[in-house]
Amino acid sequence: MRREFLASSGAGRGLILDPCTKLALLLVIAVFVLSGEGGAAAKQMAPLLALVPFGLIICERAWQAAGLYLALYGGSWVLQLVLMPRLDGAAAFVVLAICGFLLRFMPGIMMGYITVRTTTVSEFVAAMERLHLPAQIVIPMSVIFRFFPTVVEEARAINDAMRMRGIRFGGGRASAMLEYRLVPMLICCVKIGEELSAAALTRGLGGPVKRTNICEIGFRVQDGVALLLCVAAVAWPVAAFFMGR
Amino acid sequence: MNKLQGKDLINVGIFTALYFVVLMAIAMLGFIPIFLPLLIVLVPIVGGIVMMLYYSKIHCFGMLSLTGLITGILMLLTGMGYWSIATGLVFGVLADLVLKSGGYKSARKGVFSHGVFSMWLIGNYMPLVLTRNSYYQQLVTKNGQDYADAAMHYISAGSLPVLLIAGFICGCIGGVIGQKVFKKHFQRAGIA
Repeated sequence: MRREFLASSGAGRGLILDPCTKLALLLVIAVFVLSGEGGAAAKQMAPLLALVPFGLIICERAWQAAGLYLALYGGSWVLQLVLMPRLDGAAAFVVLAICGFLLRFMPGIMMGYITVRTTTVSEFVAAMERLHLPAQIVIPMSVIFRFFPTVVEEARAINDAMRMRGIRFGGGRASAMLEYRLVPMLICCVKIGEELSAAALTRGLGGPVKRTNICEIGFRVQDGVALLLCVAAVAWPVAAFFMGR
Repeated sequence: MNKLQGKDLINVGIFTALYFVVLMAIAMLGFIPIFLPLLIVLVPIVGGIVMMLYYSKIHCFGMLSLTGLITGILMLLTGMGYWSIATGLVFGVLADLVLKSGGYKSARKGVFSHGVFSMWLIGNYMPLVLTRNSYYQQLVTKNGQDYADAAMHYISAGSLPVLLIAGFICGCIGGVIGQKVFKKHFQRAGIA
């Protein structure tokens, strides 16, 4: 796969999923694991859903990320199992709180990471257009996907620069701290944004005619399996809700 | 020029991303319960700086509505519930209308418009009020008993109007601050 100008990065292609499938998985994980909707049934299936990003990251052969995820998620899962029955004192409480936090956030973060890592912006746009979403949603969304890593990177660089100047949180006025960080970040990002927009316009984004695309997207067997999983993940809490009545 | 063009849509993306990063950075404070009701104060004030720069690039109807809608969608994807999609769209359109009435140039209307826009944050508090009991259970499993009790204590069932007004006032304050920063830095740097 060729790397493209607008690509977030088309690195390592293991299991190829349609961008729509990845978004569906992300949504399901966000709703049931991250926000904890769906009550007890959703809680039971959370570990199962957490396996999905793990499987995908293994297919990506990103061993480091996979190891980190396994250690953090698996570690907190085991800790929670061990600690839950014998809860005593504040220390156990803090540990449990941290575990709960990791259990909730890690799958969502991982799925988001996989989605951004394995989808080029072109593919994303193609998939969104196939869903017949209007350009008014597709273009801003694809820019956001492309732009998030840039903003975070810039923020980190400015943070370093400010630390070198001895400007840090905690010492002095909060408003000045904010000004020294936010203003340079905004100026950087607006400049980058202007270049990005020039590049995108050159490539015909937002033009009056339909853009063509060489990306091969489409549903395959693995998409069917993943979508079936999504449907099951939605159906389970709904069924549990009605059975419980 | 009164139709959304490619460049405008890209600007929507860029500034929504910036606004959302600021929002997330502040929302991290929400893990301390006392900051939960304060989010509707802090986000508009800090976000005002981003938004005032954004406002200088808006010259047609629809950009703020899109920002509201997309911020709502991103809130859903980051696990903050689905209410924000509705409130983001509603207050985004209202803020757009306010800005349109000022011809996209009036500074006073810009401040007012940001006040209206900031009211979308109410979407984050709606589950605390509308589906209070089930949300309490959800918070207990999510963040633990202590957090859930504290959150319920700080945000009572009848506090939605208060929060809405707070959002509007802080949005206006944020707008004024944002315009000051805009004049001090951005205009001088020539990126406006």
